[in-house]
Amino acid sequence: MKISCIIVEDIQIAADFLRKFCEKSDLVEVKGHFLNVMDALEYLDRERVDLLFLDVEMPGANGFELLDRLTYSPMIILTTSKTEYAFNAFQYHVNDYLKKPFTYKRFIEAIGKLQLQPAETSPAQQLPATQTDTEFLFIKADDKLTKIRKDDILFLESMRDYVKFVTSSKNYMTYSTLKNMEEKLLGQTFLKVHRSYIVNLSKIDDIRGNTIYILGNQIPIGKGHKEDLEARLNIL
Amino acid sequence: MQKIRPPFVFDENLNSSFLEELFEGDTKYAEAIFEDFLKDIPVYWERVETAYHNRNLPILGTSVHTCKTLFGYVGFTDLQELCQQFENKCSVNSPEELRVDYILLIQRKERAQHIIEKEYARLRLFNGDKD
Repeated sequence: MKISCIIVEDIQIAADFLRKFCEKSDLVEVKGHFLNVMDALEYLDRERVDLLFLDVEMPGANGFELLDRLTYSPMIILTTSKTEYAFNAFQYHVNDYLKKPFTYKRFIEAIGKLQLQPAETSPAQQLPATQTDTEFLFIKADDKLTKIRKDDILFLESMRDYVKFVTSSKNYMTYSTLKNMEEKLLGQTFLKVHRSYIVNLSKIDDIRGNTIYILGNQIPIGKGHKEDLEARLNIL
Repeated sequence: MQKIRPPFVFDENLNSSFLEELFEGDTKYAEAIFEDFLKDIPVYWERVETAYHNRNLPILGTSVHTCKTLFGYVGFTDLQELCQQFENKCSVNSPEELRVDYILLIQRKERAQHIIEKEYARLRLFNGDKD
């Protein structure tokens, strides 16, 4: 499933490169390109996208003014040739910052980073989840970045230097550690239940003794993790 | 035996290592970008000149900012830096104080445009031979 995006950029060459990189990556689908903030806002009033590539300095309103007027919280990658906006980017919880001109390699790094940053929104920006909100992460598997919806993940299993992601349709192996995944997933619907397993709590079918059952898979519950699990599941 | 064609080598005045990474050997795409640059730079530069002559420093700064980005995409990363410095000065200096820097910027821009015109012609020739 591709990330949908729009490009808000008044310099055609810059927009062309971005569109080309999106197509080349096969990860991002460009839904539109807008030369100014007002046209972009008009589009975003009707349609939602996962990601905005947003220039800062444009004719009329600047990129931060667009962010002030957004009614939902897509991911944001700021594109600018000024580094002075880094502080503003931080305040607006921007996912990444691309200094123009940037290469394809830098672009892919930014897309890859989208998985590493949990959505941080201020209370004013928090909106109820809707059908169109997407939560996903990217993992490097089979020499490519693969997008996985978090909601599709059943559980993760540590396999020495690799982590196996088990989803309802497919398994993925990525060179990483379970600890690294803990930092990215814990606190949401995921819980570490054993030194080698993290489970998606919403996918648990049942628990018998010290074993969790998820779609026919059996996951052991570690001694030191049972209490945590019971607390999270509100087991009486 | 098929003759192996040497790769296109960008002009020494350009940041060729950056351009090689940016275009990844796609000389047809490089040709298209250089062509776009040559079409766009006169339009954007006219805004710079108008703003300077009208002593409108905020617009001068943003107009130079736009040109700066264009220079970067054709490998003039040093000129990009010069534009950044000029853009920064637009918010603190008077038009009179900017005069020397402005003249230097025009000279560098003219030289850059001339180099890109030549480079575009070379790319067209190179790509034309491939067909």
